[in-house]
Amino acid sequence: MKSKPKVAFFDFACCEGCQLQVANMGELLLEVLEIVDIVEFREIMSEKWDGQFDIAFVEGSITDEHATERVKKIRERSKILVALGSCATIGGVNGMKNSFPLEEVRRYVYGEFHKFFPTVETKAVHQVVKVDYFIHGCPIYQPEFLTVLKCILQGIPYYVPEYPVCVECKLNENVCMYDRGLSCMGPVTKAGCNSWCINNGNICYGCRGLTVNPNTEGFKEVLRKHNIPEDFLIKKIEMYNKCKELDK
Amino acid sequence: MENVPFVLTKLPSKSIMFYCIFSHMKTEQYKIIEKYLIKEFVNRLFPISKVVAPVYKGFGNYVFEEIKSEENVTFKYIPTILPPKKYLLPKKETILEFKKNQELIIQPVVEYENLILFGVHTCDIAGFKCLNKVMSDTPKDVSFLLRKEHIVIIGIECNDYCDQYASCAFVGAHLPTTGYDLMFTELNDIFIVHVHSSKGTNIVEKTGLFKPATDAHIKELRELREKKAKIFYNEIPTERRYIPDLFDRSWNASVWKELEEKCLSCGNCTAVCPTCYCFDIAEEVDLTLKSGKRFRIWFSCQLDPFAKVAGGIDFRKERSARQRHRFYRKFRYHVDRFGMIFCTGCGRCSRTCMAGINLKEVLISLIKESEAKIWRKWL
Repeated sequence: MKSKPKVAFFDFACCEGCQLQVANMGELLLEVLEIVDIVEFREIMSEKWDGQFDIAFVEGSITDEHATERVKKIRERSKILVALGSCATIGGVNGMKNSFPLEEVRRYVYGEFHKFFPTVETKAVHQVVKVDYFIHGCPIYQPEFLTVLKCILQGIPYYVPEYPVCVECKLNENVCMYDRGLSCMGPVTKAGCNSWCINNGNICYGCRGLTVNPNTEGFKEVLRKHNIPEDFLIKKIEMYNKCKELDK
Repeated sequence: MENVPFVLTKLPSKSIMFYCIFSHMKTEQYKIIEKYLIKEFVNRLFPISKVVAPVYKGFGNYVFEEIKSEENVTFKYIPTILPPKKYLLPKKETILEFKKNQELIIQPVVEYENLILFGVHTCDIAGFKCLNKVMSDTPKDVSFLLRKEHIVIIGIECNDYCDQYASCAFVGAHLPTTGYDLMFTELNDIFIVHVHSSKGTNIVEKTGLFKPATDAHIKELRELREKKAKIFYNEIPTERRYIPDLFDRSWNASVWKELEEKCLSCGNCTAVCPTCYCFDIAEEVDLTLKSGKRFRIWFSCQLDPFAKVAGGIDFRKERSARQRHRFYRKFRYHVDRFGMIFCTGCGRCSRTCMAGINLKEVLISLIKESEAKIWRKWL
């Protein structure tokens, strides 16, 4: 029998919560281990691997020169590289750094020692190296992780849905958050999470990033109708989407 | 429906419909049930099969879901978030199973179960009729037709409008005509029940709570319908027969451009529509990577990937074109193909639209613009 694909997990600027989603998968993780061989995964094991990876999952965004070099090396060693979680796929909350001058940010965080901590603009992983698969979410949605893993193992592409969360939410027959008098980023956020938050009574924070071709102007109009200031929307969008500016 | 054609092959003219509803009420087809017994009636459905009914979800929203006790049922409700279409055409339906060990085994699957749909409004029954027409067309959709055979439809007639979004009188879906097994109509202290099929008779016999209706009941029902004729009015300032012409003149109407700015392409309008049936096919393998399933899942013409084809070309890229397509699918294309308007007047699309796109307003604006065009032609 062919040996199982060698899989590794790495993290950059992130909370490691997406890896936790994988580690927390429960019994399903045993089934995953039947088909892949995890060779490096700092959150759950001490062993390291010095060879080639068949699949490398990279969590976190790239925020300094050291990280840039490290992710490039991981890319060189990996046949397939997967961006895991919003920090990796779209820069995530780390992108908020890009709204301020880098010098100011360093001083704010490190005070008098800031000169020891050189920094660069926050980047999503694909803005530094080639990414083969994207698993959005903050944190990632376990079923989507498994779907992507199966796609990789079958050698087929995974298409992130190019429509908003509302599509999935409506099929789940949730009472619309706007009917409850709350604001929700569902109408402009990429689907694929099966409206996970709204199913559980929370609003959508837009963690998966703006959907393809969002009607932001139309959405502003909706917010105006609900007496929600436009500024509020801009801030919500910038919370996860700031790095998108670097794509242009 | 064993003894009754589920679908009218042709839309009856208004006079025939009037005759059906008002003059042809055969007393022996009607039963009555005391109002206080209605909960007991629901209780007696449980031993027969799974029961699905409208349930309140808060904030003015209702859903059709399985009930285990009559306590959850709402007898008065506005159209549910999703129409009961989801039981005839599941949101995610397995159509094929495959397995590969030594050889590849492929097995087509039809998913169905015995189901009683209780409390269906006439607008949603009109939706069933539309779907039935499409699915019975060649090539027949066997899954749908088999599923339909196992579903008992118990309707509840609306004696008044649910809210301002409905346009059921315009499409003639405010009155029960056909397409159900039992139809409950609320009179003073009883429900009068039209028994419309052998499935319906079966329910009446098994629950054992019904009494035969008398001529006095029929008279009361007739009076109610006359009263309804005063309550319900044609919500759109035109007649149904002029709709195809209206749409023939409206391809370049300015309202589509307005929708371009408003529409968020969230697909809510199509998800909640009782007559939308577009689907996508998806496959999922399990973690052994050796077996899996193929699904039919709901899809929507309002979404970006819907009209994308190989080479990355999207032949309905603008939101205005997609919205226009939705309206033509309801009011024009199917008139040619099936002789039916594919809007049931339930008002769900307008009710659910965050951007406030309102079906009635769009139609009215089309009529206004088209009138102006006609006048210009004459001057």
